[in-house]
Amino acid sequence: MESKLMMKLVVGSEAIFFLALMMGFVYFAYFPGFDPKSLALLDLTKTGAFTVLLLASSFTFWRAEISHRNGQIGSLKGWLAATVGLGVIFLFGQGMEYNHLLVNQLVVSKGTFATGFFTLTGFHGLHVFIGLIMLAVVLYLTFLGDFDRPQSSVISAVGIYWHFVDIVWVIVFTLVYILPHVVNMK
Amino acid sequence: MLLSLLIPSIFSSASSEASEITTLTLYFIIASVGILLTVIGLLIYVSVKFRGKPGDPEPRQFTGNKVVEGVMITIPTLLVGGFFYLTLSTMQTVLPPADGLKPEVVIRGHQFWWEAQYAGKNAVVANEIHLPVGRRILMHIEAADVIHDWWVPELGAKMDAIPGRTNHLWVTIRKPGVYEGACSEFCGAQHAWMRIRVVAQPEAEYQQWVRERQQNAVTPTTASAVAGAAFFNRETCGTCHRIRGTVANGNVGPDLTHFASRQTMLSGMMPNTRENLRRWLQDPQAVKPGAKMPRFIYSKDSINVLVDYLTTLK
Amino acid sequence: MITDVTIPEPQAPLPGAGVNSSQGLLQWISSVDHKQIGILYLLMSLFYLLVGGALALLMRVQLMAPENQFLGPEAYNQLFTMHGTTMIFFVLTPAILGFSVYLTPLMIGANEMAFPRLNAFSFWIAFFGGLLLYFSFLAGGAPNAGWFNYAPLNQMQYSSQPGIDYYCIGLLLAGIGTVGTGANLIVTIISLRSHGFKYRYLPIFVWMVFINGFLILAAFPSLNAALVMLLIDRQLDGHFFNTASGGSALLWQHLFWLFGHPEVYIVVLPPFGIISEVIQVYSRKPIFGYPFVVGSGFAIALLAFGVWVHHMFATGMGNTMNSFFAASSMLIGIPTGVKIFNWLGTMWGGSIRFTTAMLFATSFLVEFTIGGLSGISFAIVPIDWQLTDTYYVVAHLHYVFLGGSLFGLLSGLFYWFPKMTGRMLNEKLGRWFFWLFVIGFNLTFFMQHILGVIGMPRRVYTFPNLPGFGLLNLISSLGAFLMGVSMLVFLYLLYEALRRGKRASDNPWDGYTFEWLTTSPPQLKNFDTLPPVFSFRPLHDLNHPEIGDHKKSTDDKYGT
Ligand code: HEA
Ligand code: HEA
Ligand code: HEC
Ligand code: CUA
Ligand SMILES: [Cu+2]
Repeated sequence: MESKLMMKLVVGSEAIFFLALMMGFVYFAYFPGFDPKSLALLDLTKTGAFTVLLLASSFTFWRAEISHRNGQIGSLKGWLAATVGLGVIFLFGQGMEYNHLLVNQLVVSKGTFATGFFTLTGFHGLHVFIGLIMLAVVLYLTFLGDFDRPQSSVISAVGIYWHFVDIVWVIVFTLVYILPHVVNMK
Repeated sequence: MLLSLLIPSIFSSASSEASEITTLTLYFIIASVGILLTVIGLLIYVSVKFRGKPGDPEPRQFTGNKVVEGVMITIPTLLVGGFFYLTLSTMQTVLPPADGLKPEVVIRGHQFWWEAQYAGKNAVVANEIHLPVGRRILMHIEAADVIHDWWVPELGAKMDAIPGRTNHLWVTIRKPGVYEGACSEFCGAQHAWMRIRVVAQPEAEYQQWVRERQQNAVTPTTASAVAGAAFFNRETCGTCHRIRGTVANGNVGPDLTHFASRQTMLSGMMPNTRENLRRWLQDPQAVKPGAKMPRFIYSKDSINVLVDYLTTLK
Repeated sequence: MITDVTIPEPQAPLPGAGVNSSQGLLQWISSVDHKQIGILYLLMSLFYLLVGGALALLMRVQLMAPENQFLGPEAYNQLFTMHGTTMIFFVLTPAILGFSVYLTPLMIGANEMAFPRLNAFSFWIAFFGGLLLYFSFLAGGAPNAGWFNYAPLNQMQYSSQPGIDYYCIGLLLAGIGTVGTGANLIVTIISLRSHGFKYRYLPIFVWMVFINGFLILAAFPSLNAALVMLLIDRQLDGHFFNTASGGSALLWQHLFWLFGHPEVYIVVLPPFGIISEVIQVYSRKPIFGYPFVVGSGFAIALLAFGVWVHHMFATGMGNTMNSFFAASSMLIGIPTGVKIFNWLGTMWGGSIRFTTAMLFATSFLVEFTIGGLSGISFAIVPIDWQLTDTYYVVAHLHYVFLGGSLFGLLSGLFYWFPKMTGRMLNEKLGRWFFWLFVIGFNLTFFMQHILGVIGMPRRVYTFPNLPGFGLLNLISSLGAFLMGVSMLVFLYLLYEALRRGKRASDNPWDGYTFEWLTTSPPQLKNFDTLPPVFSFRPLHDLNHPEIGDHKKSTDDKYGT
């Protein structure tokens, strides 16, 4: 109960952190110097696919929570592992995207778009990574039998965080991959 | 407070905009002294009347009063309402939008000096800025590097000079005179010595002054001034300074075309004398540490001819 | 009828709860006890007050005379930056957290914070943040762009020393710690109140801490984001704030003040709470208008997020924007005034004991009103156009920070010192300290209002010899030295009390809240049993059953 409350507060605070970064990005999107050429380098379809995978991980986590509540430890392990897997794939996809951009010489210092892009997606990636660590710990504890009782609130606390990370990605994706097409078509 | 009435301050307003603000400030002072005295008065009364003595019984334990709460909300709300209205109207008279009008002068802040460009005229000056009396003029405020802030207390509102933006300020000066001001946004090592002098002149004098500023620099006549000019152009001076009529055409440092006609040098740091100029040219970093002019090692003779040259640039 | 309730044991034993007093310093370092961490916070704050104060005294020596040569521009600029940053992030913030962490569990009848280890972590990370910030002096130069560190002056090309990088990292660490403690306090207040402790029985101080928790959670992320972005600019050559390559100078200001304005209320709300407790107890009367004092706290917290542009009135954002933020800023005066008058109402009809703590609380009312009124003068936009970035601002901020927050904190220190240490402070020396400090304070900072009005900008390492400048600055510097002397008295006062102070009883002031129920100083386990709670003065009900609030109807309890 306390850990869930704590997680809600942390997530609320983190939301404002991302909001501030996003405000920066949007601010630049409406000003000159926001380079549309870099935009063309982004791979909308591939990243879109990875986005779907990340969203799927929210679903698998939700299944994990239900299994936990019903005391089905076996399927809890399965769904948790699936969530971790999807998260890892997402990070892998982000790594590919970064690699592609770096090869094409799009780096942080390449104008306001690049700075904003790497900052937003980078911090989101960092949060996914932290989430994965938490999930891995939970998975490990499940194998140790810590969650055999359905009362524990740790899983739902981690869940709040994981769903939050997903929602943030939906917004980041919209802002970074879609918004610039709309506002800065010069 | 009295002191500030006798010496230059925001209360000795010399422009219509400044007096609008002064009036508002006086209203505010009256209201706030009233509020402060109420608080202090109540406090003194309470402290004297209700001071406890050892052995006193517990006083009556009352916890509030709706009427009192109502009063302490209503009166401040009314005051706030009144001042909000005054704020809106004064804001509108002091600084209405510029509506795309052409400015009289464009002021640009540099680390650590001011450039003034008289719009539509071929006149650029530094630090000592002349403005006409009796006419409402529009100024543009810009910045070349970091944020600076234009402030001359007797002329009214200040305005930030922000890189990448053009801000504006209206001013209607009413009295001729010299008004001191200063850069008011921290802008680096020598923010303290980024002072402003505004010379307000009657229209005719002002037009005359602008005409003189449009002329090219005088050509040196004495032998040593000629040598100084040659030295100036040979060395790197011209990459940072402009002397109109010569090849020197930089804009990193102040325009020196009419340098000798300035009363002060280095943004009001010191009187413009030969001695100060010599000290400056010998080692700028000793005179104004952090200023954006590097130290050059020149012989005494070279500095002498430079001084001879620069002091002819009326 | 009053019967005791027992505090339930925590389900799991508290980590590290076994104090081994033979461990000495190690025990403090490894402690997760909220009282020890609270005291660590307070010690950290006192240490940095001396350091930050010493920097201020150096500055005042430099400003004693026109065109003084004592410090160069670069040294001066580092000093005022470090002075402001230290005072805000490493004096006031840890001080309010220290009181909050120490007192909140005690006041709500709990034995610990909700997350004791997080509590310790938050303190230590903030502590190391402070060390890192000061390490910059050794690493090639302290930050030198002012405590709000405006862009683009904070960029590499204008400040190439590592100072600003240390500023970013130091404040990030401190900021993370502060958010951790803020969240911890909220969870503690929500979930660990003792049995029957309804929200409407919370002491005013706890209410202010509670509201403050949310302020912290909402304000600090925007500072953290700004700092991260600035680090990216400086270390990875990013372009957020670099105006030379498309960045924006105003973006920094928005992000910074979106944090910075709430921050000033973060450091003043808990002192408001302290003042409320102190005035009640020394007037021997319950707070006047409890619902209004609490409600105005909420109002201030909400408004605090809608006023940040009032620090940017002179950036040329246009009159529409300015008038919105002028309105919200002026509105804050109303709930603050409600507090001031309710405190006066609390004293009204009381039986007031003027101890040192009460003296500080009383003078708080005057000094904070002066500071608040000069704040309102900035909210009147045209006045701000004249006075922003002058010494008038310096006067305002010291009147609210010193005359407001610090006086409140000192009042709290004198009030709770017996509880925290089991020793009484010397009242006579306390009075000396009080008068020297108050006189020095007003000499120093009242003059600065006038300096601003006659045209002295802030953050100047020296000034020309214009009429009035020399004299007023001299007076201001003399006042500062008087404050320095008073601080020596203060240090001696603490030393003497700890060495040979009189033993304090459990409840020397006839206090109202639960911390006075337990021993002085409290044992590791705060309480075994507690009386039930029927009002916001549970201990008063227990000690004065004949006039206890528990006999009153709700209307009488709250004066509604
Ligand atoms: C504890 C800290 C604290 C507090 C409480 C306040 C309180 C207020 N502040 Fe202040 N402020 C600072 C700390 C604080 N401030 C700091 C540090 C800066 C400078 C930052 C920097 O640039 O370095 C600053 C700067 C600052 C500015 C920008 C100045 C500038 O740089 O141009 C403004 C502008 O509006 C402002 C306004 C206010 C207002 C309206 C209040 C109000 O909350 C005040 C309310 C209180 C009262 C009004 C008094 C009591 C009320 C009554 C007795 C009732 C009757 C009153 C009325 C009817 C008005 N403050
Ligand atoms: C809590 C907040 C706080 C406190 C307590 C103080 C306390 C003091 N401040 Fe400061 N001040 C700020 C917050 C604070 N200040 C802020 C936020 C700024 C803005 C910074 C900026 O512009 O970026 C500022 C700026 C500021 C300026 C303006 C600088 C400028 O714009 O150029 C000045 C100038 O006079 C000043 C003076 C003082 C003085 C004389 C004290 C005195 O009260 C100090 C009294 C002395 C002591 C408390 C120490 C006593 C010490 C000893 C006796 C020695 C023992 C020492 C050791 C053992 C190490 N302060
Ligand atoms: C790198 C740029 C740079 C170079 C090169 C340079 N200056 Fe300067 N100079 C400046 C700047 C910047 C200032 C303004 C300093 C200040 O007030 O902060 C200045 C100020 C001056 C002033 C005072 C102007 C006034 O109105 O107060 C004089 C005179 C001057 N320079 C002469 C020279 C001469 C002569 C040389 C060559 C030998 C020279 N400068 C080379 C940048 C430069
Ligand atoms: Cu330019 Cu300060
Ligand atoms: Cu503010």
